[in-house]
Amino acid sequence: MREKTPEPRCLILACGNPLRGDDGAAWRLAELAQPQLPSSVRVILQQQWTPELAEDIARADAALFVDCSLAAQPGSVTLESVTAATAFPSFLSHHVDAASLLRLSESLYGLVPATANLLLIGAFSLEHTEELSPAVKAAMPKALELLLGWARNQTEDRPI
Amino acid sequence: MSQTITIDPVTRLEGHGKITLHLNDAGSVENAEFTVTQVRGFEKFSEGRPFYEMPSLMARVCGICPVSHLLASAKAGEAIMAVRIPYTATQLRSISNLAQMVQSHALSFFYLSSPDLLLGMDSDPVTRNIFGVVGANPEIGKAGIGLRRFGQTVIEILGTKRIHTGWIVGGGVTDPLTLDKREKMLAMLPEAYANIKLALKWYKSILPSFKREVATFASEPSAFLGMVGKDGKFELSDGTLSLIDPKGAPIATGITAADFDDVFGEAVEPYSFTKFAYFKALGYPDGSYRVGPLARLNIAKTMGTPLADAELDEFRQLESGPVQGSFHFHQARLVEILYGIEKIEELLGDAEILSPHVRATAGVNCLEGAGISEAPRGTLMHHYKVDDNGLMTWSNMVIATGQNNHAMNRGILQVAKEFVRGNELEQGMLNRVEAVIRTFDPCLSCSTHAYGKMPLAIELRGPGNELLSKIRR
Repeated sequence: MREKTPEPRCLILACGNPLRGDDGAAWRLAELAQPQLPSSVRVILQQQWTPELAEDIARADAALFVDCSLAAQPGSVTLESVTAATAFPSFLSHHVDAASLLRLSESLYGLVPATANLLLIGAFSLEHTEELSPAVKAAMPKALELLLGWARNQTEDRPI
Repeated sequence: MSQTITIDPVTRLEGHGKITLHLNDAGSVENAEFTVTQVRGFEKFSEGRPFYEMPSLMARVCGICPVSHLLASAKAGEAIMAVRIPYTATQLRSISNLAQMVQSHALSFFYLSSPDLLLGMDSDPVTRNIFGVVGANPEIGKAGIGLRRFGQTVIEILGTKRIHTGWIVGGGVTDPLTLDKREKMLAMLPEAYANIKLALKWYKSILPSFKREVATFASEPSAFLGMVGKDGKFELSDGTLSLIDPKGAPIATGITAADFDDVFGEAVEPYSFTKFAYFKALGYPDGSYRVGPLARLNIAKTMGTPLADAELDEFRQLESGPVQGSFHFHQARLVEILYGIEKIEELLGDAEILSPHVRATAGVNCLEGAGISEAPRGTLMHHYKVDDNGLMTWSNMVIATGQNNHAMNRGILQVAKEFVRGNELEQGMLNRVEAVIRTFDPCLSCSTHAYGKMPLAIELRGPGNELLSKIRR
């Protein structure tokens, strides 16, 4: 059982490679947001989500996964809730998705955050560049607003 | 009628490789070739770079064991600078290398090999991964993930990044250790101890069910090469190399980085981009040897830490003389994890570990330098030549996989002779031929090690290269 703390433990997990164009969108967004976030919000930037994050996730009251997707409309920004996968993936490369990580937290530590969301930014190109595409660059203010709003909701509205 | 079986690609390895089995006219396996199909080119594209950039550049060879490359490269740079680095820097670099040993061995054992051990070599490939391990035995899954996390976190605390830290440089390290960082690392030790003790107990309980694999997985006698410290103690970062024969007698001792190229050569086979290292005095292939955890435990007189020493005593009971069965790489890895945790604790308690003196500086004083370290997979050597301005003119790396190459090929042949029966291609055979390679934990390079659903095929071909049979998953 998770111990009670005076402030909620919020975790933001940003995933991507800043050297691969829009793949770095989540990373850059988290860096932009970090100075404006309350101290109770912990940010972890990684190029890939790996099973070792399961313990951090299990300890969090709220978790926000931030990633980009080539499958989404370039420049689109969505915030949706995410729940633990009903089954583990049948293979493992270097990367584990948010739902599988939640499942892993649940299986190993018996805990998942009360709130878990996925902020997804539609990517246009993952080519070798440190620049974001114009579509993703234009979407960053909205993504930042959503991320900061999420953090505010978790830290201000929590019943003590 | 001679035939050929090809397994391409081999899964759950660091990188890509393929296996070809040649059958003789009687349908028995006659020869085996393990082919590494990638070219990386680091030695070539480093030409013209300043030597002091080399540690960070060469660390990119691998995302699993970058600390070993940082260390060997920094030492080569220090030979060029002709400096002796501060005591505290040596100790701090050792902690980082030990942490990497823990996390890399945890990846190899728990993520890549334990699915075979826990779920069985003939189990469904769909579940044969770390998630399958978590489902079948959550405590073992948790221990493995916890140990990997422990090692990665120590590396991150020391060098601010868990992969490709720039903290280790020629001359020492960039920043000293702070008290709060030391306390953070010390606080993680109890859980790490509990995890490795659980894993060792579990592994030893399942070992008896793998008698056939133990007997046939690259168990042919070979020489062993590894680093030792003072009085023959186990050492990973700052020692000299010893080569022992298959019966454990010393062949060559006190080999330094500067000696390496005089003592060891590299042969080339037409079927692989990876070289085959050998002891020059015995020639190739007679001078072939094995490196890595099995070699290190066979060579060291003692581990130098109490719990690991007790495990070493037990390990030595597995066989009479040096332990030859490559299946026992698994247990050796677990013993090294235990040693790593104990040694990190010891080094963090060193009276001078918080000293601010952690870096020596100098320019180019020699035009050539070499450095060695023990990577998780075995001995690693970097050798550089520079011009008067310190720009790289030539480099060579000898990595563990090249040194284990001959033994891996022999091991595939041995296991294929045991499990492959002529035209009958079965999943179980495929799994074991792969698993023998996995015991060595070869680093073919940084590439995906997706498993389970990775396309994998074995082809059986006739003398005219006609396809006789094929299985795929």
